[in-house]
Amino acid sequence: MLLQTQSITKEFGKLRAVNQVSLDIHKGDIHAIIGPNGAGKSTYFNLITGYHPATFGKVLFKDKEITHLPAYTRCTLGITRSFQITSIYPKFTVYESVLMALLSHRKVTLKFFSSANKFFKEKVWNILEDVELANQANTLGDSISHGDKKRLELAITLGTEPELLLLDEPTCGMSPEETESTMALIQKLSTERGITILFTEHDMSVVFGIAKRISVLHQGTLIADGSPQAVRASEEVQKVYLGGTA
Amino acid sequence: MVINQTEQKESMLKRSWWLILLIIAFLIAPLVMSKFYLTILCEALVMSLFALSFNLLFGYMGQLSFGQAAFYGLGGYVVAMLTTKLQFNFWLSLAAGAGGAGLVGLIVGYFCVRLRGIYFAVLTLAFGQLIFVIIFKWHDFTGGDDGIQGVFPPEYLRSIEAYYYLIFFVCAISAFILWRIVNSPFGQTLKAMRENPERTEFLGIHIARYQLIAFVIAAAFAGLAGAVWVPFYRSVAPSYLTWIKSGEPVMAAILGGPNIFFGPILGMFIMTFVHSYILGFTHFWPVIMGTIILIIIFLLPGGILEFAKVKITERREKANIAKGQT
Repeated sequence: MLLQTQSITKEFGKLRAVNQVSLDIHKGDIHAIIGPNGAGKSTYFNLITGYHPATFGKVLFKDKEITHLPAYTRCTLGITRSFQITSIYPKFTVYESVLMALLSHRKVTLKFFSSANKFFKEKVWNILEDVELANQANTLGDSISHGDKKRLELAITLGTEPELLLLDEPTCGMSPEETESTMALIQKLSTERGITILFTEHDMSVVFGIAKRISVLHQGTLIADGSPQAVRASEEVQKVYLGGTA
Repeated sequence: MVINQTEQKESMLKRSWWLILLIIAFLIAPLVMSKFYLTILCEALVMSLFALSFNLLFGYMGQLSFGQAAFYGLGGYVVAMLTTKLQFNFWLSLAAGAGGAGLVGLIVGYFCVRLRGIYFAVLTLAFGQLIFVIIFKWHDFTGGDDGIQGVFPPEYLRSIEAYYYLIFFVCAISAFILWRIVNSPFGQTLKAMRENPERTEFLGIHIARYQLIAFVIAAAFAGLAGAVWVPFYRSVAPSYLTWIKSGEPVMAAILGGPNIFFGPILGMFIMTFVHSYILGFTHFWPVIMGTIILIIIFLLPGGILEFAKVKITERREKANIAKGQT
């Protein structure tokens, strides 16, 4: 087991955004968290990555408790995330953005006198080729298309060489073609690099096409968890989610 | 790959010809300049180092420090007190000036780096004024509003020309170190924090820690600038630490361009020389400086060097296109 949450709960004032969610994420899985808007998916992500402190409950990564560790420490342990609203470096080139992630992950950010550009060239190009951004390496982050920005953020997260990658709506705002290629890319990362992927998504066809396991959140509570077939068959899921929107 | 590297080196030489010319110009300056203008050149160089230290925080880290003069002044006071009261070695005093400012920077920075944006600016201003008031009021120890007079460099550095070379080398070496820092992985991390602190934190960077390191480096170099200036001017006064002094590197950076390494230097040179020229016929220097800043902000929002860079890039691109067509 790579990651485990035990009764993890987040309250914002009187609102319980995530309600006692206990879930295991297995190594090597592509695991989807689905649920309607406001179900608590992003908040659940924020609890795992340390963006928000949990009200109570525990997060365990490789059997060690990380509930109270700051976000940057969790990242150095091997948990990296993307954001729902694409978070990149607008004034960095595509190349520099990925380089930054590698500089941080490989702990050379306290070198003061050597040129940053001489580090990890091969590795940066390798990642850029994987996400098909190599031809835009010298373009600024804010000058590329929306779909490419999402892919750039993915490339940045890969620079930290994560064991567990959390993607918050990785295909949000993408065209059907872009969605398809991004999903193929995620699949490739999982098989080739052995990265465990946890992602949220609201597009059902996307989720059922790729996820090995699906967990369903509804109003902050976990109402189903299992294989895509089992989740699709669950009456409760059909009632609160699939019946209404799919 | 090898060819590529030689090409790179050649193109670097082509691009930095102006820097080599500039260094030569600085080296022969005492031979061709009057003592009056040499004195102003000394001031411009020292203030440039002060502005560069400030711009590490402002241009590269993206945080506006409004208390940088406190470190500049502290560097000056350390040298003045060590050399006059304890007859301390001059060179060690210079180092102590930078070190002392860096040490106080560590304490002040510890509190400031928790904040960002306007709160960071206001807290640095508050600390800056606090240090100023301590020095201003503590008459027995610091000389209060009288400051400290009779701060002399060693005999061999008493002439303007000799001291000019000291200032030039200290500033040039410091600028080189700062230039290496902003292009290093650490510098890249500072820029990343400026561009997107959240993303950077989620790449495993402890933001406050890096901000603190940058704050201490900036304080130490500001301290060094003050330390090297005071023996030239032979005295130090509390006015070196005021918020007005802290505003000077802010204006220099905006004038020259905070996003380009040499921007604050150009800004400081313009400010220092225009200032001494204008003082010849009017005392309304702030009005003129204010007007210049207004013009820059409205017409060249990235500063003079940023504007020049954009124009040069445009011209090069046009030339490349023309080359491609023929």
